[in-house]
Amino acid sequence: MYNNELNTNIKKYTVYLDEVSKTFHTSHFLYKDEETGKRSLIKRKEACAADKITFGIMPGEIMGLLGPNGAGKTTTVKMISGLVKPDSGTVYVDGMNVEKKRKQVLSQIGVVLEGTRTSIWPLTPLENLYYYGNLRNIRGKVLKERAHQLLDFIGLNDKKDIEVRKLSRGQKQKLAICIALIADPKIILLDEPTTGLDVQSSRSIKDKILELTRKHGRSVLVTTHDMHVAQELCDRIGIINKGKLITCKPTSELLELFSKQIFSLRLDRNLAEGDLDTLAPQITLLQTDLTADGPTITVQVPEPYAERSEALYLLFETLHRKKYQLRSIQQKQVNLEYIFLQLTGEKPVFDGINSQEQE
Amino acid sequence: MLGFLLIMKAEIIRGWIITRRYWFRTLTGLIIGYGMLMILIAGFFYSQPAIERGINQLDDPTRATNYILGFIIGLFAFGVIGMFTQGIQGMAQTGVLEQLCMSPYGLVTNFLARAVVASVTTILYSALMVYFVVISVGGKLFFDPIPVIVLLTLSFINLLGFGFMVGGLVLVFKQVGQLTIIVRMALFALAIFAREEFLQQSWFVSIFMHALPITDASICLKYVLVKGQQVAPGEFMSVFFHPCFYWLCASCVIWTFIGISLFKIMENYSRYKGTLGIY
Repeated sequence: MYNNELNTNIKKYTVYLDEVSKTFHTSHFLYKDEETGKRSLIKRKEACAADKITFGIMPGEIMGLLGPNGAGKTTTVKMISGLVKPDSGTVYVDGMNVEKKRKQVLSQIGVVLEGTRTSIWPLTPLENLYYYGNLRNIRGKVLKERAHQLLDFIGLNDKKDIEVRKLSRGQKQKLAICIALIADPKIILLDEPTTGLDVQSSRSIKDKILELTRKHGRSVLVTTHDMHVAQELCDRIGIINKGKLITCKPTSELLELFSKQIFSLRLDRNLAEGDLDTLAPQITLLQTDLTADGPTITVQVPEPYAERSEALYLLFETLHRKKYQLRSIQQKQVNLEYIFLQLTGEKPVFDGINSQEQE
Repeated sequence: MLGFLLIMKAEIIRGWIITRRYWFRTLTGLIIGYGMLMILIAGFFYSQPAIERGINQLDDPTRATNYILGFIIGLFAFGVIGMFTQGIQGMAQTGVLEQLCMSPYGLVTNFLARAVVASVTTILYSALMVYFVVISVGGKLFFDPIPVIVLLTLSFINLLGFGFMVGGLVLVFKQVGQLTIIVRMALFALAIFAREEFLQQSWFVSIFMHALPITDASICLKYVLVKGQQVAPGEFMSVFFHPCFYWLCASCVIWTFIGISLFKIMENYSRYKGTLGIY
């Protein structure tokens, strides 16, 4: 049964991770514990970067891996590209086991890793593409044509003869993407592709990623901690925290997750402390604010319609009984940041900027 | 094989572009290299306990040539091992190593091709240096092309095996790269002082000396280039019959096997530890 399901998934997805786990072990010499002040000669530490992660990327899909720093996003990318060996579980790329057929897998993958230069700075973008093309068994006329096409596609054609060291950060990042694409891979792994870039460069890179999938049918995995990038770019988003994949849903479905559940109520006066406890039990008080228009409370109600309706009736009844005057009710349209914070256990803040409001 | 040739081609083009683009740096590098080598050799001779002895030694061109050649072989060994140690460290810092790790040809083929290109450049550079320095101290070199090419190739293979072993360690423990300078310096010194007399010690010392990667290569090269393959004045014996030549062949096989095996094991371990490609 399991094998059948696995085989189906391997065939269905271009990239498929089957219960992949990875824990890093580090040793610290002459270690001093900051909390207890206790010293030890050698302290061994463990960090779980992936805990039975299972997900797949469909052909022509942009999958986003969203998570805070140290969540395990880069490790996941590296496990797919064969740079890190999983402790358990298997990664399949185009139906091939990465550990068993690493060389074949590598010719299907293009990777841009975060924070590295990738390109050789004394060379020009064109020379870099020729160099990396040879390293990936692309040569001759094909290499020349592809290098020019890629530079044209990414918008670096006018910079093709300028040394990389003289290019801007955004242009270097674009070149890194070209290098990843030189072998015409089916799968592109982008680790934080827009980090540290200005709005224009970021926009341009996002457009190119979209074009790669929509026009050229490539599968893309993007890791990011930028909610906007994930929301704008990804067809599906996986939220990862402390090595665990908390959720993996289509972006629209994920955005629906808490929508219609958050309400903001403006009252005539501050909610008294005791009154907080007397709110209906199904209702979670998220926040109280004192705005220019008066005090506002933000509450979360259960998702199912019946329970939500019941909870709202109870809320209004309680407020009515306590003689609060209800001045306005707004249903909050939550954004990805809220969802992310909810799912990772952090406390979300409604500041009126990050969330869209609906009267 | 095709992959190896393609990587070599890419490396040659990259090296040529950088040499041509930064021609001033290349030229000054050659001049400074020559100057430094002369200072090093002069310093080496004059640091003997008695200055007179040093001067007397300088008056003996054969002895001087012997040491100069040792210096050059030492520099060659220093460079080849450095390509693995400092090279891996540097590439890890810039992110180029990660790209190499993702080349479908594998790291061994990549490093092999890079090392061949780098060593050819080093040999050409060293040959120029040897020529200029030997002329400067009034020495003489016997150049027999076939033995020299064979010996240089074997020396390179020998060093390559050792380089792969050290490089494997650097792949996992990047900080080890700093410590390998000691190993490189030791090889450098060994290349200078390696003499046939060293091998006439106890069997233990003799075996130990043969086991080191540059001893036999250095002795054989000195035998060809300085002694002109003469056991005694006028008594010719080809280097291919010299016992050190056989030791060198055996050493090549053993070091290459150990080096590449260990490099592959360490590459795998590095992937397990998550340190492959990163500093």
